This record gives sequence, structure tokens and C-alpha cells, in this order.
Amino acid sequence: MWSILSVAAALFAAAVSAVSTSGNRLLVVLDDVAEKEAYGQFLGDLTARGFQVSYETPRSEGLTLFHLGERTYDHLLFLPSKVKGLGPNLTPNRLVDFVNANGNILVALSSTVPASTSLVSLLSELDISLPVERTGTVVDHFNYDTISAAESHDVLVLDAPSSIRPGLKPYFELPGGVLAFPHAVGHVLGSGPLLTPIVRAPATAYSYNPKEQAEVLDADELFAAGQQLALVSVMQARNSARVTVLGSAEMLQDKWLDAEVAKLGGKSTKTENKEFARRVAGWTFQEIGVLRVNSVEHHLQGSEELNPGIYRVKNDVSYTISLSEYVWDKWVPFVLPEDDLLQLEFSMLSPFHRLNLELKGTTDDAAIYGVSFTLPDQHGIFNFMVNYKRSFLTNVEEKNTVSVRHFAHDEWPRSFVISGAWPWISGIGATVTGFLGFCAIWMYSKPVGKKN
Amino acid sequence: MPAKKNAAQPAPSAAATTQSSTTAAGSVPASAPAAAPSAKNSPANWDKVLQNIYQYYMKETPQRTKLIDVFLVFIAVVGALQFLYCILAGNYPFNAFLSGFGATVGQFVLTISLRIQTTAANKSEFPEISPERAFADYVVCSLILHFFCVNFIN
Amino acid sequence: MRFSVASTLLALASIASAASSWTFSDGTVQVTSKAGNDAVAKFSADDRVQNTLTLGHQDKLKVTLTTKEGSKAKRPHQAFLVVKEASGLEAPFPLTVKESGKGTVEITQKDLPVQLLLSQEPLEASLVLGSFGSTKGSVTPVFDFTVKLDPATAVPSYEKPLRYGKLAEIHHIFRADPKNPPRIVSVAFSLAVLATIPALFIGWFAIGGNFAHVQKALSSAPISHVVFFGSIVAMEGVFFLYYTKWNLFQTLPAIGAVGVAAFLSGTKALGEVQRRRLAGER
Repeated sequence: MWSILSVAAALFAAAVSAVSTSGNRLLVVLDDVAEKEAYGQFLGDLTARGFQVSYETPRSEGLTLFHLGERTYDHLLFLPSKVKGLGPNLTPNRLVDFVNANGNILVALSSTVPASTSLVSLLSELDISLPVERTGTVVDHFNYDTISAAESHDVLVLDAPSSIRPGLKPYFELPGGVLAFPHAVGHVLGSGPLLTPIVRAPATAYSYNPKEQAEVLDADELFAAGQQLALVSVMQARNSARVTVLGSAEMLQDKWLDAEVAKLGGKSTKTENKEFARRVAGWTFQEIGVLRVNSVEHHLQGSEELNPGIYRVKNDVSYTISLSEYVWDKWVPFVLPEDDLLQLEFSMLSPFHRLNLELKGTTDDAAIYGVSFTLPDQHGIFNFMVNYKRSFLTNVEEKNTVSVRHFAHDEWPRSFVISGAWPWISGIGATVTGFLGFCAIWMYSKPVGKKN
Repeated sequence: MPAKKNAAQPAPSAAATTQSSTTAAGSVPASAPAAAPSAKNSPANWDKVLQNIYQYYMKETPQRTKLIDVFLVFIAVVGALQFLYCILAGNYPFNAFLSGFGATVGQFVLTISLRIQTTAANKSEFPEISPERAFADYVVCSLILHFFCVNFIN
Repeated sequence: MRFSVASTLLALASIASAASSWTFSDGTVQVTSKAGNDAVAKFSADDRVQNTLTLGHQDKLKVTLTTKEGSKAKRPHQAFLVVKEASGLEAPFPLTVKESGKGTVEITQKDLPVQLLLSQEPLEASLVLGSFGSTKGSVTPVFDFTVKLDPATAVPSYEKPLRYGKLAEIHHIFRADPKNPPRIVSVAFSLAVLATIPALFIGWFAIGGNFAHVQKALSSAPISHVVFFGSIVAMEGVFFLYYTKWNLFQTLPAIGAVGVAAFLSGTKALGEVQRRRLAGER
């Protein structure tokens, strides 16, 4: 099974070099195909990485996400569009179906254009809320770009993420760099485990509606402020499909990719927008952070037989799992993020064992993690279960079912090796000896004395 | 009616006790009436009663039956020792206890059966069964019992 | 990615303040309490409230002030009272500011998020003022206050949101192995049990048991007696071999063979025993 898979994977890799693990058909949805010029560098980079980029406007007749029940695209990129709704082909339901069919979506928003209702509904389905009226600008009177937005303060200059959360892979971390977020829309995340904010607004930032709250910000109408506001967030569904919300579409435009910006009172520096955009798109379109299970092996210690279907209670068993990670264009051994553990559960309904797997070795493209342990003294149907779900990494859920049987009747220790059984063994011996003697004396005893 | 019934009651029960004590003594029913009243009269001369029973047993029991009784006592002692050990030292391994103790219990029951069937006094109850036939049954059943015990003790 | 108010403040302090900046005057914080713990304190940009205020469950905390751009009273776009917990969690409360710069905000326990209500340390309130244009914003810590929860109601519980991550290890606890009694006890009882065998024979001989008829039996039916008794012993021997090394499929044929021999010889041997009985010799 695994060898067929690996051959298929190798063939696939040979056919299309340097592209996502989940296909290379990318659809960019934007108002006017001519607008793509503004994003030339970013889209050119995607094409260079092997994506087949198609451009459509929401009004386009032929636009369809599914053909005969199969996805017609692997990835979607939404650039800001002035259309209020995205039309019958891009309804929120279709988009959710697209995600359910393992399609990835990158949504780029801009405060200059109200978000489409389709996208607002899609995001609220994922527990991501946008400001009311579908528009809102994030401003920060303390962290703005003094070169381009000295008056309006709506171009935020932020330090690039340096440690998002312990135990996660550093895909988005660019220590020391700065990012520019022109005309960003902030959003607020629900508390679900599938959502992870990548860039949060600084403590002094807030979101307001420039049309209605230009003069005064009514205390009751504040959407969100400070770190509640997220500027870039990612969501990975249970099927490992990915949805990313980018608060500022303009940061992908050529003019912002390596623009000069200056913080209040600081020197002007180049932004890291280009690298950040590459990573956000690469992650969303499954070029990084993709895990593959090459093989799972378990066996009785001292036995050659691989993956037997049955074990006995208290057997000593070894378990290994081989994992690879896709990094842009090749499979490499998967190395755990710092402060994280790969764990094996041996479970029947609830786990009897949950053990940390250790790195046992690496090959060119796989890392082998394993652990040895003694099966519990409970018979039944058990699972070897590796349930590795982490933000930024595709889900690994490997379940191998085995039976655990009791001792067979001839596997127990014999009674004579148990010292406690000796009196009872001699009891049987005495009974048997007495019986033999009795048989002899009954048959051969000569009567004495008077016969009755 | 009830009064009459009550009056009638003691007789059968007395007969029952007599019979059971007879089997215990292992001999002729005639001895029982002598023993039972004396026990009722004065508990003080229990020793005399016992001595009576003992002497009667020694005198009237056939020697062949005595041989069986010695064997029964032996089995009882072996069984008691095993049971005592189980109480004192715990029942691990339990299957060994069951088969060891079960062997003595089974052997005891079989031997009692043999004794009943071969006692001359019970001849009328088993007219078809000769003592030799009873012994053959006894040997077969004992061997089967031993096989079970050896198998079960592991 | 964490911007704390304090670090922002530090960054601001390092900037030479050439341009005018947003400030405030007439800062007052007032706690109105039904329990009678009313407190009023004044603060300004340079002078924060020294003592810690207490916010009870029925109390209302009210902050009033006048915002100024430079020295002129004016309304800024951003005027937040930010309440911060020791761990860095913040909750902003926008002030309602009039054109004249007079701003107020009221906070009760209902307005505070659960995490702040449960904070052990006093909460720190800062004033954030800022607006468009070149006038600098300001962040000023103004007072501290503690939250005193209603002892009559249950403490609000805060459930940490689920995050995927490593879990605690679980190691199965095995049942203890059964323990043997002291070996000396087992040996003593074994010997006691075995000692009953000689006692049995002594008992038999004491009441006159003997093997005197062996000769008689052997002379009248030699083969059948030898075979019969021998097969009983052999049967026990088979059982012993079964116990020590044979398996069931070796044992059963042996039992069959010995059993047939015992049956055939037994009829003859016991017939001889019966003849002896009928002859009155038993």
C-alpha cells in the first residue's frame, strides 16, 4: 500500500515540479481582470512556483467551482471586489462545499472596498466576524507609516510576527522585519481551536467606519480595539483544507511588497511584505505545513512479523510511524516544532497509554518516530492511535486496530513453579496414593477376627 | 385436627434422627434407641454414650468396613489440611486449590458411596449390585475424578 | 507581535516632543457605591491616583476629564480608558467625548471580561488619547483598582478555550501480580499432607488390614490380577505423564489402551474376588 503511494507520489512530483501537494489550479476572483497588474509580482511568483492561475470576475458566465461533482479549481484567491454579492456561482454554500472538498481559499480584504456578502457569510460560518456594514478601517495613532499616511494613520507598520504561540512551526515568523498593512480591515475571531491569528493589531489600534465615524467615534459603536482585532488569521478545517483571511489586500500589491516605510519617529525601513505574502499564500495553498504518513509499523518485540492483528495482554510491543513534511517543493523529514510532542495513544474507548514518540531515525525524506511499551493487562479491541492535530500542520490521524487477547490456557505458569500451589499438588498426590493403597487392601486384605 | 397432628409429629422425627445416627455409626438400627434416650436424659454422661457408641462400632462393624472408614478419615484429614492452608495462606492459585480440595471431596463422596453399597446391612437396598460391581464402578469413577483434577491444576 | 501599552509609552517617551500632543485636565475618578464605599480621586497627566480603588459588585466607576490638544480643549478621535490585567490582557472602554472635550466613561463589573474579574492583582487603567494628523497621541496610566466580587453569587468561571497541543502522558497502571505465601508455609503444609500417607497405612495395619490374600489371588488368577492392578497404577502413571510432559492427544490413546486392559482383566480379577467372598474368605 505504502509503496504504491510513494511511487505515485514520486511520479506526481516528477510531473509537476515545485507545486502544492493539493493541486495547482488557482482561480483568482477580482473585479476587473486588468486589476491583476497591480498584483503582478505576487501573482508572477505564484505562476513561477507552478500554479496555473486563472482570472475571473464574479459576473463571469462560465465561472463554476464544480464540474460533475469534482472541483474545477484547487485554490481560490479573492481580491477585493466592489460587487455586493458574488453571484450565484460563488454563494457562501458553494464556498463551504469547496472547502469541504479540500479546496483552499485565501481571502484578501480592503477597507477601501466593502467586503462581499458572500465572503462575510463564509467567514462568519467559520466564526470570523467582520465589522458591521462590511467596512471598517484599522487605524493606530501610534504605529502608522509616517511616509504614506502621516495624516490619516491608516497604513499600519508592525513588527513581523516573532513568536505566535509556543509549540507551533515558525512558518510566518520573520524576526526583526516590519510589515506594512495599508487600509486594513480588522476581524475578530471566535474561540474555536481551528482558528489561529497570525498578526494581531497593536494595543492602541482600533477599527472605525470612515464614512460614519470620521468625526467622532461613538462609544457604543466601537467594533473592536487592541489585540482583539486580528489582521491576518488562518483556519484549517478538519479535512485540512485551509482558509486564510488577509486584512489588507494592498499589502500584496507590487508597490507595497518592498515599500519604504517609517514608524513614528523612526528611520525608514523596507517592509518584509514580499516574503510574508509568499509564506501566507504558500501555506494557504498547501505548499508548506503539509504532513504525510509514510508508514505505520508495530510488532511484538523479538518477533519478525509486522503489524499482526492480535497481541496478548502484557506483551512488549514496538510502534513506529514515519512522517514527512512538504516544504515548498520537496518532502523532507518532519521535525517536531519546539515544545511540542508527537504522542501515541493505545486506547479502547479511552486511552490506556498515552506515550511520547521519540525520534528513532531519519531518511532522506522521512523521520521515524517510535516507542516501545507493554500492553495493558486488559483484553479487548484496541487502537494504536496517533492523533496529531496542530495549527499550521495538516491533521494526522492514524488508527490501527488490533485485538488484545487473554493468556491462552497453556501460557500460564505451571502449578509446580508456583510455590503457593505445592500443598494442593501434594494433596492430589496423597489422594491418588491413598486410592491405590485402598484398592490393594480392598482386594487383597485377608479378613481377621469374626466375620459378620 | 391440628392437635392430633401435633401429637403424631414427634414419632417420625424421632425415627428420622435414629436413622441418621445409625448411618453415622455405620451399623444396625437396633443400637439407636439405646443411644438416643440416654443422650436426652443427662448430658453429664456424654462420655459414657460415646464410649458405648465406640464399643458398639468396634464390636459390630465388619473389618472390611473399618478399612473403608480409615480411608475416609485419611481423606478428611487431607482435605482439612488443604482447606486450612487456603484460609491461612490465601487462595492463589485458586485453580490449584479447587482441584486439590475437589479431589479429596470427590474421593470422599465416591468412597462413601462404595461403603453404602458394600455394607452387608444395606444389601436389601441394592439387590442387583454385588460388592465387586460396586468396587469396579468406584475405580472407574475415581480414575475419571483424578483425570479431571490433574487436568485442572495445570 | 505583542504591543503593550507600557512599551509604546517608552517608545513615545524617547521621542523628542516637538509637536504638540494630546493631553487632558480635570481628571476625576469616582466610585459610587450602594454599600457606602464611595471614593473620589483626582488625577492629571503627571500625577496618577496613588491609592488603589475598589470596585464592588453593585458599584459604578466613573471617569470624567477634559481632553486637550496642546493646551486647547478639543475632541480627539480616540479616547479610550484601557483596563489591563497583570498578564497583559486588555479591555478598552471608549469615552463619550463632547465637542468641548469633556469626556466620561462608566464601568461596572458587568462590563469587565471574566478574565479581568478573576484577576488576583489590581487592574491598571490607562488613558489612551490620539487622533489623526500630526498631533501626538498619549498613553497615561491613571489609576489602579481591584474588583471585589459579590460573595453571595458564584464566582464566574473562565473556561480556557480548546487549543490543539500536546497532552499529558498516561501510563497504564497494571494490576499487582498475585503473591505467593511464604515458601516455608507451603513446604510445611505439603509435608503435613504427605505425612498422612504413612499414617493411613499405619491406621490400616492397626485394625488388622493386610495384603495376605495376594498369594491366593495370584495363584488362582495370576494374569488378570497383575494386569488389573497394574493397569490402575499405569492409569495414574499416565495422568502423571500428562501433568509433566504429555499433551492431551498423547494422553487420550494411552488412557484408552490402559482402560481396555483394565476392563478386560478387571472382570476376571473381580470374579476371583467374588469367588473368594462366596467361599467366605472375605
